[in-house]
Parts: sequence; C-alpha cells; structure tokens
Amino acid sequence: MSETQAIRTPFVQAVLDSSGTADTSGIAWVDAARRDNLASFAATGLPEARNESWKYTSLRALSQRGFAPVDLKAARTVAVDVPVLPGVTGARMVFVDGVFRTDLSALEALPAGLTLQSLPDALAADPEPLRFALSARHRHQAADAFAHLNAALARDGVVVKVAAGAHVASPVHIVFISTQAGVAWHARAVVDVGQGAHVTLVEHHVGLSDVASLGTLFADYTLRDEAVLDLVLVQDASASATLIRRSHARVGARAVGTVHAVELGGALVRHELMAELVGEAGRFDSRGVFALKARQHVDTQMEVRHQARDTASDALWRGVADGRSRGVFRGAIVVAEGADGSDAALSNKNLLLSAQAEIDTKPELEIYADEVKAAHGATIGQLDERSLFYLRSRGIPLTQARSLLTLAFCRAALSSLPNEALREHLGDLLVAHLPTGPVDA
Amino acid sequence: MHMLKIDNLHARVEGKEILKGLSLEIKPGEVHAIMGPNGAGKSTLGNVLSGREGYEVTAGSVLFNGRDLLALEPEERAAEGVFLAFQYPVEIPGVNNTYFLRAALNAQRKYRGEDELDSMRFLKLVREKLKIMQISDELLHRAVNEGFSGGEKKRNEIFQMAVLEPKLAILDETDSGLDIDALKQVAEGVNALRSPDRSFVVVTHYQRLLDYIEPDFVHVLAGGRIVESGDKSLALKLEEQGYAWLADAHPELAKAELAGERA
Amino acid sequence: MNESENMTREVAAPVRDNAEVEAALNRRYEAGFVTDIESTSLPPGLNEDTVRQLSAIKQEPEWMTEWRLAAYRHWLTMPEPDWAKLEIAPIDYQSVSYYSAPKAGLKSLDEVDPKLLETYEKLGVPLHERAKLAGVAVDAVFDSVSVGTTFRKELAEAGVIFCSMSEAIREHGELVRQYLGSVVPTADNYFAALNSAVFSDGSFVFIPKGVRCPMELSTYFRINAMNTGQFERTLIVVEDDAYVSYLEGCTAPMRDENQLHAAVVELVAMERAQIKYSTVQNWYPGDENGVGGIYNFVTKRGDCRGADSKISWTQVETGSAVTWKYPSCVLRGDRSVGEFYSVALTHHRQQADTGTKMIHIGKGTKSKIVSKGISAGRGQNSYRGLVKIEKGADGARNYTQCDSLLIGKKCGAHTFPYMEVKNPTAIVEHEATTSKISDDQLFYCLSRGIGEEDAVSMIVDGFCKQVFRELPMEFAVEAKKLLEVSLEGAVG
Repeated sequence: MSETQAIRTPFVQAVLDSSGTADTSGIAWVDAARRDNLASFAATGLPEARNESWKYTSLRALSQRGFAPVDLKAARTVAVDVPVLPGVTGARMVFVDGVFRTDLSALEALPAGLTLQSLPDALAADPEPLRFALSARHRHQAADAFAHLNAALARDGVVVKVAAGAHVASPVHIVFISTQAGVAWHARAVVDVGQGAHVTLVEHHVGLSDVASLGTLFADYTLRDEAVLDLVLVQDASASATLIRRSHARVGARAVGTVHAVELGGALVRHELMAELVGEAGRFDSRGVFALKARQHVDTQMEVRHQARDTASDALWRGVADGRSRGVFRGAIVVAEGADGSDAALSNKNLLLSAQAEIDTKPELEIYADEVKAAHGATIGQLDERSLFYLRSRGIPLTQARSLLTLAFCRAALSSLPNEALREHLGDLLVAHLPTGPVDA
Repeated sequence: MHMLKIDNLHARVEGKEILKGLSLEIKPGEVHAIMGPNGAGKSTLGNVLSGREGYEVTAGSVLFNGRDLLALEPEERAAEGVFLAFQYPVEIPGVNNTYFLRAALNAQRKYRGEDELDSMRFLKLVREKLKIMQISDELLHRAVNEGFSGGEKKRNEIFQMAVLEPKLAILDETDSGLDIDALKQVAEGVNALRSPDRSFVVVTHYQRLLDYIEPDFVHVLAGGRIVESGDKSLALKLEEQGYAWLADAHPELAKAELAGERA
Repeated sequence: MNESENMTREVAAPVRDNAEVEAALNRRYEAGFVTDIESTSLPPGLNEDTVRQLSAIKQEPEWMTEWRLAAYRHWLTMPEPDWAKLEIAPIDYQSVSYYSAPKAGLKSLDEVDPKLLETYEKLGVPLHERAKLAGVAVDAVFDSVSVGTTFRKELAEAGVIFCSMSEAIREHGELVRQYLGSVVPTADNYFAALNSAVFSDGSFVFIPKGVRCPMELSTYFRINAMNTGQFERTLIVVEDDAYVSYLEGCTAPMRDENQLHAAVVELVAMERAQIKYSTVQNWYPGDENGVGGIYNFVTKRGDCRGADSKISWTQVETGSAVTWKYPSCVLRGDRSVGEFYSVALTHHRQQADTGTKMIHIGKGTKSKIVSKGISAGRGQNSYRGLVKIEKGADGARNYTQCDSLLIGKKCGAHTFPYMEVKNPTAIVEHEATTSKISDDQLFYCLSRGIGEEDAVSMIVDGFCKQVFRELPMEFAVEAKKLLEVSLEGAVG
C-alpha cells in the first residue's frame, strides 16, 4: 500500500504538517501509540472507493482538502451559546472545536458514583485505566484510516466513569460545538459503566452556520455486567461540516445498551455504531433516523456482534432523503459460533423523496450458530398510498397528509425513547428538518 | 331535492370494468342498503364515491348536493360531507389517533370557512362522542388503528364519523369480521347518528346487519348495476333464497356474476 | 473418502441390513464415476500460444482468435476477485489443461463412442433419439467439446438454431459475432475474461421472431478428464415475441484434485421475448473433509433488451466445492421482468457465494428474487445480491426474499444484499430470515412415525417449494432427489 501513496493527497499532507508541531503527553506509551497511529495513517491515507466499507461514501473530494489545526487559543476563549436540550438536565461537558471548556461546562455537584473528566485531566491523574482504550487497536480499528487519524491527533475528549451500582438519574449532556472553519478537530471518549450502574448520555453535535470543518470522535463504551446505558446521539452539525464518528460498545452479561440516533445536519457524515455482546444475555438495541436534504451525505454503519449465549439485539432505522442528498445505511448482524439462543432483528425503512436523491442500504446477516432467531427487512420506497388515501378521505389535504406520514415514519425511531421532553424536542427538530415542510402539530 | 344522485356510473379498476351503469338517488335522512354477491362492485362504489386512486370513472355522473362529486379531491369530498367507513381500515403507525382526528376535523372546518377548534374544545367534543360509541379514552392515545382488533377498528370508524359529522356516510361491509356483540355495538353507534339531514349507504353482504340498522330501501347490486330495489323485505328474500333467483329475473346476468352467492 | 465415520452411524441403526448400507453409501454421489475413454488434451499451461492453439483446433475464424487473445491480455491485468465470502486455496492457472476432447472425431451422434453414450445413459441423459425423453432436445458437452445435439431436424423446421458453440462459430459466425460478449463483455470480471480467452465449447440457441420453441432445450455438462478445466460458453438469443425454456445440468467424476469450471452464459431477450433458464448444478462437491471438488466460477447474465421481455433464472446448486455465481438480469426494456429463484445447499466443507443482480434501467421494470440457502456440516452459504434502480426506472419494483436454514452447529449462513435506489417512484423490498429446523417440526414428524432423515428432507423440501415450483417437472424431481442425497448424514 505504501508505494501507492508515494504522492500524498492534500488531506494527508495537511495532517502531517499539522502534527509536526504536536505536543507530547509526557507518558511514553501514549506518545508511542500516537506516533504509531500517525505512521499507519500516513501509510494508507484515506480509504478508497474500492474499500467495501466505503463503497457508497466517496472520500475523493475530502482527500483533496487540507484542514488546518484548530486555533487553540481561540477555541479556549471564543464566546458561544451552549445549546440546551429539554429533558437533559444533568451534568454537562462542552467542547469547542474539540477543546474542553470548563467555563461552559456544568460539573458541580455530580451525583454519587459519576466521574467526568477531560482526557488530559484523566491522563494527568492516572493514565493506567486508559491504557487499553488508547493503546490497543481493536479488530475494527486495525484497517481504518480514521481510527488511526483520531488516535494520532486526539488530544482532548471525555472520560466518563460510573461506579458499580450507581444510578445516575439525570442525563449527562456532552456537547461538541464547531466554530472555526477549515480546521480539523479530533476527540476521544472513553466511557466505563460499572456493574449494575445506570446512566444516560447525550452526545450532541452543533456548529455555527457554514463552518466547513472536519470533526472526528471515537468513543468506546464498556458496559460491565448488568450495566444499563442509554445513549442518545443528536447530530445537528453545520450544513457544511464533515463529521466522522465511531461508537463502539462492549456489552457485558445481562447488560443493556440502547442507542437513539438522530442525524440531521452535516455535509458529509459517517457514523459507525458497533456493539459486541460479549456477556451472556446481554442486549443491545439501536434506533436511528436520518432526514436529509440539499447535498447532504450521511452514512450510518451499524454492526452488532453476538458473541455470547442468549444475547439479543433489535435495530430499527429510518431514512428520508430529499433534494440531491444521499443516505447510506449498512446494518450487519453477526452471530458467532456458540452464541446459541441469540435473537437478532433489524428493520430498515427508507423514503426517497426526490429524483436527484439516492439511498443505498445493505442489511447483512452473518450467522455461525444454529440455535438462533435472526431476521432483517429493508425497504426503499414512498409513503404508503393506502394511508395517504385514508387521511385524505377524512379531509386532510394531500400536502399535510404527506408531512404527517413522513414525520410519523421518522418518529418510529424515537418512540421508545423514555425521556419524553427530549423525545418531543427531537421530534420538533425532525419536523424542522423534514423536506416536506413543517406540520402544525 | 336529492342529496346524492348517481347516474349511469361506469368505473374500471386495473382496466376491468366493474361498475356498468349504476344509478341511485338518495334523499336526506334516508338509509339505503346495498347488497349483492361478491365481486358485484359493492366496495368499488364506496371507493369511487370517496375518490380513491386507481378507480377510473369512464362514464356517468355523481352529484352531491348539486355539486359534481367526481371533480373533487378525496379531502374535498370529505369536507363536503362524504364519509367512507372502510372495510379494512388502514393502520398508520406513529400517527396519534387524537392528533389525526383533530387535523381532519380542522381541515374540514377550514374548508367550510368555519373556525378551527383548539385542543380544549376538541377534547370536549371527543369526550362526548366517545360516550356514544362506548369507546375508552385509551384508544385516543394510540396510533391510528395500530394494534386494534377487528371490532375496535370498525368502532373507531364509526367514532370518527361521530366526530366528523358527515352528511353522507358510506359503510363498506362494516359488519364483516364482527361477532354479534361487536356488530350490535357498531349498529347502535350508527343508529345514534341517524338524523333527518344525514343519509347512509350501508354496503353489506349479509342481511344480518340490517336487523340492527333498519334501511328505508334495499338495492341489489349485481354485474355492476342495481338490478333490484325494494324495501327491507327484499333483504329478507335474499336471506331466504340467496342470489340465485336473480338469474331467473335477470337472464342478462352471467352466471359468474351471481356465483359469489352467499355461503 | 472417510467412510468409517458414516458406517458407524449406519450400523448403529439395527433395522438396516448391510446391503442397504452399501446402497446408501453408494448413492452419495451417483455421478462420481470416470469414463475410460481416450482423449486428446492440450498440455497444462496458459499463454498466448495456448489460446491460439485452442482456436486453431477449433478451426475458428480470425476474428474469434483475436477476440480470445484480447480477452487473454486483459485477463493478465486483472486481480482475482476477493470480495466473496470464500476461502479458496490459490489456484494455479498454469497447472490446468485448457482443452480435452474424446479422441475420435465426431460427425454425427451415430459416430459417438458407445462408451460416451453409456456415460450419459448412466447420468440419466439420453442422447439417442429413440431413448430420449420426449420433448427435450439435448446438447451434451463432454470435457471441452460438444458430443452431440439431439432433435436437430425438428428444431430446424421451427427455425430454431440449437447447436454447439464451436459449430455456431463456424456455421452462424455473423450471428455469434453480433451477440457474443454483448451481455458479458470480455473484461467484465476475472473469470469471464479467462473464459473468453479459453472457452472450448458450449451451446448456442437462436429463436427467431414469433417462434415458441417447440420443446425444452437442454445442455448437459460433464467434466471427465483429470486436471482439466471446463470453460463453456452459452449464448441464447431470443427475438421478438419468441420463447424458450432451457435446462442445464452438470456432473463430474470424484477426484481428489480441485477442478476448475469457469463458464459464461449470455441471454438476450428482445421485445416481448421470454427466456426461462433452469440449472441443476451437481458438480462433484469434494468429500467430507473438503478434498477435491469443482471450483465453480460462473458469470450468467441476461439482457432484457426489448420492452415487455422476461428472463427467469432458476437454479438448484447442490454440487461444487466452491460456487461463485450471480445469475443476473439487466432490465433495459420498459416493463421487462427479471426473476431469480435459487436453492443453494452446502454440506461438509462446501462453500457457496451466490445470488443475483437486478439492474433496473427501463420504466415499469419488475424483479423478484427468492433465495433459499441450506447449510449443513461445515458448509458456508452466502447470498449476495444487488438490486439497483437507475434514475430513469420510474415505477420499478423489486421484492426479495432470502431465507436460510441451518442444520448443525458448525455451518454458516450469510446474507449480503445491496440495494441502490436512485428513483423516487421505485419500491424495493427485502426480507431475510435465518433459522434452523425447529424441534417442534421435527418432533411432530417423528411422533407420526417418520424417520429423522426423512423428516429433515420433508422439511427441507417444503422450505424449497417456492423454487422447485419454478422448475420443469423432470428437473424438479431430480432436484428434490439431489437435495436428499446431498443432505445424507447431515443430522444425527
């Protein structure tokens, strides 16, 4: 591979230029890991189209752009409004252009058992607990350029620890705000939910309008046995942002992970959601929706690996594409040998609203055990004609009927979100984003 | 003056002619039952009147209170006062029943130049109507028809009718799939809505429903036309003799058109 | 093969006597015998000279030789595909002999070596006109060459051309030249390029305008010689308002080496034309331990060129050590229809990566995919399919159903559907399930006195019904029998 990279793309060149000035952490293994990852990234560059995993998301244009490093001073001082989410009332950590801002965060009086730290603080206090997450390259990361890039350059991020048995009632709000154009920021999240602990995290991306930046966020979630994690991902980035995220969860015995993802903004967005069910009777459910317009390109890659007995997963994803947008979804269910009693289901439905839009979907099953129930279904199409007629026969005009059904279609991905205030707010955000225009609900 | 005047109506579905010259006149306050063998065009009539896509009218006319009904969009027909109680009400996940009904009622009121109801007034209205239909509040919080039993779906249709207060209600085999108790409940709901300025077209395969909703007129639809009309005794005759006797009275009807004879 | 393991199991069932055991074991791969016949082969190896030699042996016109050479040169530049979910030992393309033919030259069926005819009798494929099944015309391909085509006269009277590809190149050069490679270009993929360079024979079918082919056409492929690859090429052209049903069957002797089979099939359907293409693939699958067996790399594609045309693929894949095969439809004509019905079974160490591509280009085009995968032993079975709706395909529809059945704990069943939609009036639907034979079903059968193996074949047969229904009668019976035989020893 390295020979073929003799000519460096502007993207790679900019990464190498900006990393020349990178600081050192003072921790030998951290710096070694960063150097290794940088070398790996430089050797491979960005994935090409023939890479199966990037088949529907071309990075050719991105590879021709160079992103500058973040102006740290500005990021630390710029005045920004922190977005508020109804129902998200707990502690708050705010990152501006990938840089942690104590002044904007709310970390006073944390509930018992909850620890929230920025990555540098956590490393300074005790780097050892982070050694696995920051130095190990787990299987999925091995071949991926963005994982290397993030691991090489992420200097900040969030470290969450929930002590065994602690129940954190109020959702924790983790906000990423992009303010600088033309820069790349990289952040890392390491979340450890202790045995029997409960926590709700809300990862929230926003940006000042027309900020064409690149952000990468790589997050690891460890759910110890019987842990319960509710993760809500609200992506409402600037319409010109590029955002590459990976959320990787290891789910222990009888633990339950639930993800609700809403993808609204961004120009080029990729989210890789991976879960490994490593303990018996663990469960991982995911729900998500994208609503796209203009030239947005949003790619969700979901992969659930059942590696232990009696594990369960249920996935429900919806997509709407209008304008010249392109929505990509890959949902893979893997049941490993010996993972008997696994029960896995995936439903992916999409609405294509414009002749210039495109939706590509790929639901996959890979099954190596026979005592399993596994099923998936996927559709790409339009609103159901019978439902439309039913609404109209009751007097609801066509355009309103369309909006109503489109919103209902999207909301299916949110219906299981227990936080009602947040659910309603996300519904409203969807209404505002839906191409068919607002419905007066 | 007639509320509904159907004259020589011809309609096609997927290129096949189903209605072949149907005529029917209905005055305000009247209840007309339309019976007939399977495939006679009973459901087609309801769908054509409410403006469903895929039903192509090739000849004839339909006047509703003097207006050309066929020229209107489905939602305009509804606002004019035509209501179809579906044989198979569609499930619409994610659309709340209350929200749906209020959107429908207000769209109709707006069309008619009436003011829209706020949620307080709307809820009050809904509570009143719930009583008539003996439907629990809980139904309002669910999505439209989602997870409803057959009986609940049919009662929900009548409940919607109660809220929307149409001038003409077409009940398309509302009795199908109902046991006797559910049938009685639905019939009671319909009877409660009978009034001198509201008319009903009751489409049914069985005489049974007419024991509970007493019609002023009974018509037999066969081969895409109304071939017999009479009072409720006609329904009883059908009950006793089946549709086969029509063949003698109407030799022009092909055997196949009567083959859907009641079991 | 490892018989002792199975002997133990069979002996444990006291009701069966030795003769039955013998019979059961011998039934395992009935087509696994070798015909002792003298043959002429090219020495192993592949270079431009091999291609020229091959073309010379077949007395081909210049354009054909050049066509082959161009394909060969392109093949050299291509990497072997690695995206399929298959584990294959590297193939040494230089160790394969690219041509093998029975020695005696053939002019008509009467001159065919009686041993050859006997071979086909044993396989249940009658070449002699007196003995053949009524209504099925057969072209038999033995290793690299066609050994005879039946019913020629009757077909000629109807205006149908049905002959070996070699003959077609000589006798109907212009027709072949017009269509060959027009559906599967020589550079389409690695194996198609290889085939284009070295294909030795195959069948050619031409159904002229308005003709409904009076009988089913059938080709029977047989690999006999050792270290021989079989590279056949089939081209079927059906003109406006014409119809043909075509059957294809394949067998090979049991050998410890893997043998290579890389075929290309091209179908062209003009306006309102219909092609029904059915395959029962029973190449030697290798033994229980994965020794031997055919590597089956096949490119099959149908082009619905005309409006309202229809191409329907039905396949029952029980053989081969490795199957790499995606019979596809390019739905170019408005309202054209593509169908794919498949049963693929992998037992022991067999691997299959098979499925289809439905490319919707014309308006109102429809496609339907029904895939049934059965995995037993250590078999790995993948469905891989693409449904692509291009911009102009207004009102296109696809429905895909993809079910997998697992028998045993060491096998795998995988589903990789790709859906790409660029038209907002299209509807694409995909459903897939994976399950094992339920204990309840099995118990129900057992409690009614049905033995376990019979119960399993019954349930499997039921699982495959939707596909078997699409096969012509004789083939359906054959397919059912094949499944039973292939599944022997899968339970218990």
